[in-house]
Parts: sequence; structure tokens; C-alpha cells
Amino acid sequence: MIATAASNRRWRRVFLIAGAILAAYALLAPLTSLDAAQSANVPLLADKYWFRITTYIAMFVVMATAWNIIGGITGYAAFGNVAFFGIGAYTTGMLIAKAKWPFLLALPLAPIIAAAFAALVGLPLLRLRGHYFAVASLGVGVAVGELVQNIDYGGQPVFGGASGLFLPILRVDNRGLFFFYLMSAAAGVSMAATWLVLRSQFGYGLIAIRENEDAASVLGVNTTAYKVAAFALAAALTGLAGGIFSQWNVFINQENVFPIEYNVQMILMALLGGTGTVFGPAVGAVLLQLLIQFLGGTLPISFDIPFVSADARPIVAQVILGLLLVVVVIFVPRGVIDFFGGRTRLSLSYLRRSLRETSL
Amino acid sequence: MANFVQLVILGLLAGGVYVAVGVGFGLVWGVLNIVNLAHGALVIIGGYITWQLFTALHVDPFLTLPVDAVALFVLGYGLQRGVINRIIRAPLLFTFLLTFGLNLVLVNLLLLIFGSDFRSVTPDYAGRGLEFGSIVIPYVPLISLGAAILLSAGLAFLLNRTRIGLAINAIAADRDAAQLVGIDLRHAYAVTYGLGAACAGVAGGLIALIQAITPSAGEPYTLQAFVVVILGGLGRVSATVVGGLAFGLVEAFGQSIPGSGSVFANAIAFGLMVLVLVTRPQGLMGRLR
Repeated sequence: MIATAASNRRWRRVFLIAGAILAAYALLAPLTSLDAAQSANVPLLADKYWFRITTYIAMFVVMATAWNIIGGITGYAAFGNVAFFGIGAYTTGMLIAKAKWPFLLALPLAPIIAAAFAALVGLPLLRLRGHYFAVASLGVGVAVGELVQNIDYGGQPVFGGASGLFLPILRVDNRGLFFFYLMSAAAGVSMAATWLVLRSQFGYGLIAIRENEDAASVLGVNTTAYKVAAFALAAALTGLAGGIFSQWNVFINQENVFPIEYNVQMILMALLGGTGTVFGPAVGAVLLQLLIQFLGGTLPISFDIPFVSADARPIVAQVILGLLLVVVVIFVPRGVIDFFGGRTRLSLSYLRRSLRETSL
Repeated sequence: MANFVQLVILGLLAGGVYVAVGVGFGLVWGVLNIVNLAHGALVIIGGYITWQLFTALHVDPFLTLPVDAVALFVLGYGLQRGVINRIIRAPLLFTFLLTFGLNLVLVNLLLLIFGSDFRSVTPDYAGRGLEFGSIVIPYVPLISLGAAILLSAGLAFLLNRTRIGLAINAIAADRDAAQLVGIDLRHAYAVTYGLGAACAGVAGGLIALIQAITPSAGEPYTLQAFVVVILGGLGRVSATVVGGLAFGLVEAFGQSIPGSGSVFANAIAFGLMVLVLVTRPQGLMGRLR
């Protein structure tokens, strides 16, 4: 180990600067596609296709960062957060499609309804610990999706049923850019929220709950209120992403707003980047989402996997993703930020140590 | 009245499959403290073995169950020994993610091998049954229930009466103490997971008889195994049997609700599970440990 305070700080600074430059590039490059920029002969740095991908990435940044508040900081392994994404999407979607509200008025209700729902189910669920909480929250995630798809009233599906819900297209100039910046703003809000939480009494209370819930309670932390508040905050941010997604995608149904694999993806992103940190989940989200899209062949830069036909490619991509998950979980249990963050170096002995600590 | 009796019978018979799915899952969870998200994939591998033997060699599906068990035991032993043992001391989320990754790999490998077509196993006695007036007891679920009870009894015997079973019980009680008295943890863990996988394989064989299977058809069963184990209570085979039968009954009655009762099967099951977790966390039959 060569971790000294000085090298810690230096590496931190290097990565913060590199991250800031990358983020600035990602945020500014899309502007070159505006008509004004094109007529001024600015080279095109990002086309519409890239906005779509980067908007997706920003969406996962929100979800992973939000999960981190309940899963990483509070230590409650929530496995059903996709329920809040779906609730946010359906709240905004219903208000726009059925009640004819304007988008910007309907959007703020997505986080509010999602947080209210989280507080409601959180009160009983957060009494459970460990596996039991994980399983019960997964159950809530599955059940909400099923209810939304199947609830009928007077023979008519209330939420659009199995055929989904269509929203009118939002009339704004440069739609792609608009949603890209809106989703990026949501990502910024979620990271800012994490930063604030980590520096507040609330955050210290949550960390105390993660480290030892009984001791925190003895010290005077109102554990129930803290846990429910953390759960509701995570739900609000996830619901916000869902609300934006519904208007962006124009069509929502059970499959695209309640997919079970999102539950796992957001956790994996947070773990990959490092739980309990401000930027870790965001880094993990960018890396993993790029990888998923790359393997799935949806990125503009791509290559053919040898011996694999085009039909089998998505399947092989899933196999690779699964193997990667296994390898990451076994060898890098503390997240990539940990060995890039200056605390230790990526080396064979690091991998060996990780393995020794967790294996039987 | 006859309707009610018929529902109870069908519910209990359907419970047989849930018992088979639940016992293996409960064993792995109770002893190894792993919520095995790859359980559904293991189940469906058993289903494909039965289908393959039935269509290629015309073996009676119920006679293929021991083959499922042996094949899945070997696979499960290897998985635990080679992969899962390496993260046993990591926090619980890691076991979730690892088993989810294994599930992804197994399901997609099945997709590459068998494709996504529906496969079904239909012996000539499928669809027939014993008739008592207006009440029908179909053969296939009846034999399935018998097989599931037999499987559970065999597992209970193994756990309580054999040397390796006692070692597994010792591990469940206290891992470190078990190691101190000379139990080979790596081997015993692998045997436990192998047994869980073997039960999953048998369950898969039974499932292939009652529904058409695809590589991803096992995923709902992972969730249902959760519910069954929680309903009954963690830690005893007999509790899981009760949980499985109770789940079958709940499902049968849930589906009989007029209107769209059948599409709420998952919601009813999970609602029930959350209710049990919150009011009686040790399960219907469980003892708090």
C-alpha cells in the first residue's frame, strides 16, 4: 500500500478534473448540432443518435445515484426501486395523456407521488432487515408493475392496460437537446442531493444506521423517520427520472418502465463505482451503460464478435454481461473508484486480497 | 360446495410444484445465507433435461426426475465450489448480484442451445384424471405432488439422519464453530448448494409437465420460491412444505376471483408475502432463530 494523504489528494484532484472536463464536453458537444452552430460551420461533435444514448446514460445516473441514498448510505438493499421509476412515469404520463396537463406542470408531481408511495410502503417494509427487506422490496416492485398493467374500472383499463399509454409529443424546438439537458439536470440534482445529504446531520444519521442500527437508535437517531425519509428521497429522484422518461419516450407500458433488470443494473452501477460516495454511482452508470449498449451493438462504434451471428449477438452480449458481473463481484468488491481513487493501486495483489477477504 | 372442494384439491395439487421449487431455495437460503437468484435457471435446466429425455428417448417424464437431480447436483456442486464460495464472506448484496449474473449466463446459454421456442412434455396420460362425481383429480399434478412430498421427505431424511446432513445443520447453526470441529466447509457448502440445485432440477422436471417451457420460464419461479419459503418459515423442510401448499391454495383461490383475478397472481402472492413478513416474520411454521 502506498496510500499517503498527499497521493490521495493528488489522485482525487486528477480524477475530479478529468471528470469535470469529460462532463463539460458531454454537456457542450450537443450544442454543435444546433442550426445556428451548423450555419456558422462549427464541426458536428454529436448527432441525434448520441443524444439518445447520453440521455439514457443520464437517466441511469439518476437511478444509480438515487439507489445509493437508500442502498449505499443507509445500507438497506432496496431491490425494487424500479417501482418508483414506473410510478413517476405513469404519474406524468396519466396527467398529460388523460388530464391534458402541460408537461412542466405534470413533471413535479412524479417525484411527489413516488415519494409519497415510498413513505407509505416504507413504513412497514423498513422494519425488515437484510435479505427480508431486499426480497420484500422486490415484491413491491413486481406487484406495482402488475397492478398498473391490469387494473380495470368498468371494463376499461385505468392505466392503458397491456397496450400501454401513448402521450402527445411535446412541442419544443430541438426535442432531443431539450430532454438531454432535462435528464442531465436531473442527474445534477441527484448528485447535489447526495452531496448535501452526506454533509448534513441527516446523512450522519443514515451512516450511523448503516454501521449499527441499534447503536444509532440508542444515540438518539429516530431510525424509522430517517430510513423512511431516505427511502422517500431515493424514490423522489427515481420518480423524477421516470417522469422525464415518459414524455421523452412518448410511449410507456409495463415492460419499459417496470423492467426488473433495472433494479439490478442500478445496484451494479453503484457498486461498480463505489457506494456511499457522491460521484461513484454516476461513474458506474456511465461505464456500465456504455458497456451494455456496446455489447448490444447499439453504439455507433461497434465491432463484430467473432464466430457469433447477428441473431445470436444480443444473447451472447447477455452472457458476457453475466460473466462480467460475476468477475466484478468476485474481484472488485469495493468498486472501481476504490482502486482508481488513490486508496490503493490496481494490482494482482489487490485482486488476491479482495478474493481472500471474501472467500471461504 | 363441489366447486369449493375442487378448488381446494387443485390448489393443493398445484402446491406440489411450489413445494419442490421452495425446498431447494429454502435450504440454500437457510444454510448458506444466499438468496439464490439463479434458482429459476437451475429449475428450467431440469425442465430441459426432462424434455430432452422425453422427446429423444421417450422416457416417462417422472422417471427422468432422478436424472435431473443428479445432473443438477453436479452442476450446483461445481458452481458453489468454483464461484459462489469465493464471495461467501462478502455483504449480502454481492451474493444477490453474483447469483443474478449466474442466472443471466445460464438462461442465455440455454437460449443459445435450445432457442426461445416453447417446449412441452405431454405423456399420453396428461389431461386425464380420477373422477368422483363432479370432482376431478388430474393424474399429472397428483403424481407431481407425490414426487414433491417424496423429495421433501428424502431431503429431511438426508439432513437429519446422515453424516453430511448433520454437518450441514451444524453450519447453519454456527459456521465458525462447525469449522472448529473439523467440518470441511468448502465441501459441505458445495454439497448444500448441490442439494438445492438437485431439488430445483426435480422441480423443473415437474414444471415441464404442467406448462410449456422456454429458457426464461424459470424466473417467475425464483420469485415464487421466495414467497413459499417466507410463507412457511426459513430453516425447516416441513415448514417449506406447508408454505408451498398454502401458496398453491392462495393461487387457486386468487385465480378464481371473478374478473381479472388470474392476472393478479403475482400481486396477490407478494401482497401476502409482505403481510406475512411484517406481521409474522418467522413464517407460518417457523421458529425465530
